[in-house]
Amino acid sequence: MSTSAGQKGEVIVETRNLTKTYKDFWGRSKVHALKALDLNVRRGEIFGLLGPNGSGKSTTIKLLLGLLFPTSGEALVFGKDAADVSKNERIGYLPEESYLYKFLNAEETLDFYGRLFNMSGARRKSRIRDLINLIDLDWAKRRQLKEYSKGMTRRIGLAQALINDPELIVLDEPTTGLDPIGTRDMKDLIVRLRDQGKTILMCSHLLADVQDVCDRIAILHQGELKELGAVDSLLSVQDITQIQAKNLTPDTEEAIRKLIAENQGELVSMDHPTTTLEDLFLSIVRDSESRPGFVSHQEDADQQEEPVAAE
Amino acid sequence: MVVDQSEFESFGSWFYIYMVDFSMLALFMLVGWAILAFALAAIRNSPIRAAKMIAGTIKRAFMVDFPSTSIRRTMAMSRLAIQEAIRNKVLIIFVLFVALLLFAGWFLDVENDHPARLYLGFVLSASTYLLLALAMFLSAFSLPNDIKNRTIYTITTKPVRAHEIFLGRVFGFAAVGTLLLVLMASVSYGFVIRGLDHEHTIDKTAIEWDESTGLGTGKTSLDGYHRHDFTINEKLKNADGLVGTTELSKGHAHNIYLRDGDYIVEPPTGDLLARVPVYGKLSFLDRYGQPSEEGGLNVGKEWTYRSYIEGNTLSTAIWEFENLTKEMFVTTGSDDGVLPLELNLRVFRSTKGKIESRIHGEILLVNPEETLSSVDRFSAPIPFEADEFVTSQVNIKFSDIRRQNPVTGELQNIDLFKDLVDSGKLQVHIRCKDHAQFFGMARADVYIRAPEGSFEANLIKCYLGIWMQMLLVILLGVFFSTFLNGIVALISSVAIVAMGMFAGFIGDIQTGEAPGGGPIESIVRNITQQGATLELEMGDTAIEVIESLDGFYLNTMESLAKLAPDFSKFNMSAKVAYGYDIHLNLILRQLVTTMVYFFVLVLAGYFILTSREIAA
Ligand SMILES: Nc1ncnc2c1ncn2[C@@H]1O[C@H](COP(=O)(O)OP(=O)(O)O)[C@@H](O)[C@H]1O
Ligand SMILES: [Mg+2]
Repeated sequence: MSTSAGQKGEVIVETRNLTKTYKDFWGRSKVHALKALDLNVRRGEIFGLLGPNGSGKSTTIKLLLGLLFPTSGEALVFGKDAADVSKNERIGYLPEESYLYKFLNAEETLDFYGRLFNMSGARRKSRIRDLINLIDLDWAKRRQLKEYSKGMTRRIGLAQALINDPELIVLDEPTTGLDPIGTRDMKDLIVRLRDQGKTILMCSHLLADVQDVCDRIAILHQGELKELGAVDSLLSVQDITQIQAKNLTPDTEEAIRKLIAENQGELVSMDHPTTTLEDLFLSIVRDSESRPGFVSHQEDADQQEEPVAAE
Repeated sequence: MVVDQSEFESFGSWFYIYMVDFSMLALFMLVGWAILAFALAAIRNSPIRAAKMIAGTIKRAFMVDFPSTSIRRTMAMSRLAIQEAIRNKVLIIFVLFVALLLFAGWFLDVENDHPARLYLGFVLSASTYLLLALAMFLSAFSLPNDIKNRTIYTITTKPVRAHEIFLGRVFGFAAVGTLLLVLMASVSYGFVIRGLDHEHTIDKTAIEWDESTGLGTGKTSLDGYHRHDFTINEKLKNADGLVGTTELSKGHAHNIYLRDGDYIVEPPTGDLLARVPVYGKLSFLDRYGQPSEEGGLNVGKEWTYRSYIEGNTLSTAIWEFENLTKEMFVTTGSDDGVLPLELNLRVFRSTKGKIESRIHGEILLVNPEETLSSVDRFSAPIPFEADEFVTSQVNIKFSDIRRQNPVTGELQNIDLFKDLVDSGKLQVHIRCKDHAQFFGMARADVYIRAPEGSFEANLIKCYLGIWMQMLLVILLGVFFSTFLNGIVALISSVAIVAMGMFAGFIGDIQTGEAPGGGPIESIVRNITQQGATLELEMGDTAIEVIESLDGFYLNTMESLAKLAPDFSKFNMSAKVAYGYDIHLNLILRQLVTTMVYFFVLVLAGYFILTSREIAA
């Protein structure tokens, strides 16, 4: 997992003090869904928003796409305000559920969205063929989406997000509804897209998704940013060393301390253990419940250098 | 048929007034919106930020979004709207319409005196209501459904602009509606033609021949609940065998041909017309022959659309026609022309005369130049008879126009255009001859009949009016659906359309033309059991209070109603049914009105959609 890609490139997505409070009909505050979020997503990285349900991930994404307006703060994509529709030319978005027209078939769906990008007929045609192959739905391309399974819908949803060959791909819970193989394919595809130079902003409540593919992650909890940094640095625990060995009898086990001290025996691995994200996650949740408002940024140092990096 | 006063205005003056009115209203709304939007934004943010946001929105609209309008994107949205509509089985409406026509016999009065009017009125209003209802449903629910299903998320995150979403819906539904209208129009046309078509036969042996004149008279067979009197003159017989015509019955007549020794009655003629009326200006003289400011009498029989002149007095109705030329009346090749007048006079009897008998009147053709002596101005009276609810055609032959020689007392011929028409102007004076009887008339009731227009062309013009109503309804529906949910948007559309249809009525209460006054006065009348047509009996202050309250209410309603397009002005089915050509002027006004609403609503829809949180 390359962290360097995320550190340098130009800033594609930027939020400044981004805050969203859902109001009720009378203008009274109902939910503080997002609290003063500062983020940068740079060209060429896979950036993950991680957090339990209701932590504000989708809200963040909707603010970036102009589906919601910030209560305060700013959301910029390609340096443009989120309300500017022209930014959408370079964005692909997969919503949390694939909100597509059920009476269209796969080809018609992609054709329709292709038209919304003002793509010529010839270009739409070749693009649709490529995408249907990419998501392996050639066999069902003439069937109405209402006949699709959840996984198939998810895949066609991804295809519509890629129709314009976007520079920035925004994926809201990309693996929900997919079986393990589908999940694996989706993750591979995400990495492949990154390798083609695309920038990916995804969110998930599934730790495994984020851990496997993301270069950097932000952990949200109750609308607050709790952690921000490269995945491997977030997960390594520096003051503990873990050793893994095999073929030890109880006798030799007894001698392990000695053996280690004398550096004998078969050393299979010696490492800083990575906590699982789950542990990190749970500790954050526990932490934030005991100390509300506290934010620990492993990347604080990086962020201060940001003007240099962004140029 | 009632003709709205505004139809006599020229397009130019109408356009001027309309534009001034509308610009004021638009400006008022724009300022109102800006203040409201600013206030709302300022509550949530700082005023400076609010101002910046509004300025940004407006700038983005005119600098970025409108210039980058794409036909392909808009058409993609339209296609989707069409697919959605078809999927919702809207063409069921057409099936419904056909069924309605199939069973029309059950509820249409087959013995009606004017079957053409009845059928035309029926198919035109049925198509209008079905189409408008469909337009309301389609337009009010579409966008709200997209928002509810969140399919809108995948739309607004594409480069499609808010006005393209709006226009796509409008064009798509308009396309569906147009298809439906064309289908309904074709079926309707067939229905009317077939419904009016019938045959009569003539029993040769029953014809009564007058030895001296050689004319044969008789009655046709009874078909379609009527028969015709006819007169045959075999001397007239020309190459194709035409020997006569029947009398008018149920609004039509038939030509009679002699072929192979049999009298053949041809299909009906004269029931599907597009008469082109040339209207004049109407003024009145009172019973003493003095110009009357208030117009004619109001006999209290109906609202003031018509005025009455009293019989056997100097009471006169004067129509002044303009821009008359000889070429309008002289058929090429002949020297003698005909001035074709048509009179649709109401007859009001104050004494119980013979109800059946017609009432006598006279027409005078008058030179409008008042400096001439009355001897030189007036023609001799031309008598006519009028019947209630029947159009009297008075075709005045030029050679029949005479004047009494003041010296010899003899009637002598005069030349209509040399002696009576003054720089294209001519007055037609009408009086009632019978004592204690009255003629009622409005400006549109007497006119010179110009050469006939085409009925089919007229029908198409009428459908164009229906089409524009549909477009307006779709525009309103989509507009409301940008900020209301489906049901509320639908109700709002219905309310606006109803308000538009009754806009004229609100105006009539204002000008006192509709009896009974405003809502408060009506309530008072109800409670105190006073009829609507009498003067209100109360203390002066009480009346004043009631009237000022009503005035305020009606003024507000009128301004609101002005915001709504006046749908009644788009409904031209009466003209088609009564056989009057629809003047291009009317179509032009409707076109302008539709276009104005189009731009205003698209613009408003754009700003509402862009300033709305789609995912909230
Ligand atoms: N339209 C809305 N109106 C009111 N509250 C909302 C709305 N959408 C989301 N919320 C609330 O905002 C919080 C964050 O939601 P969301 O961003 O969808 O979370 P996540 O995507 O991380 O699961 C939740 O408490 C949710 O209930
Ligand atoms: Mg979510």
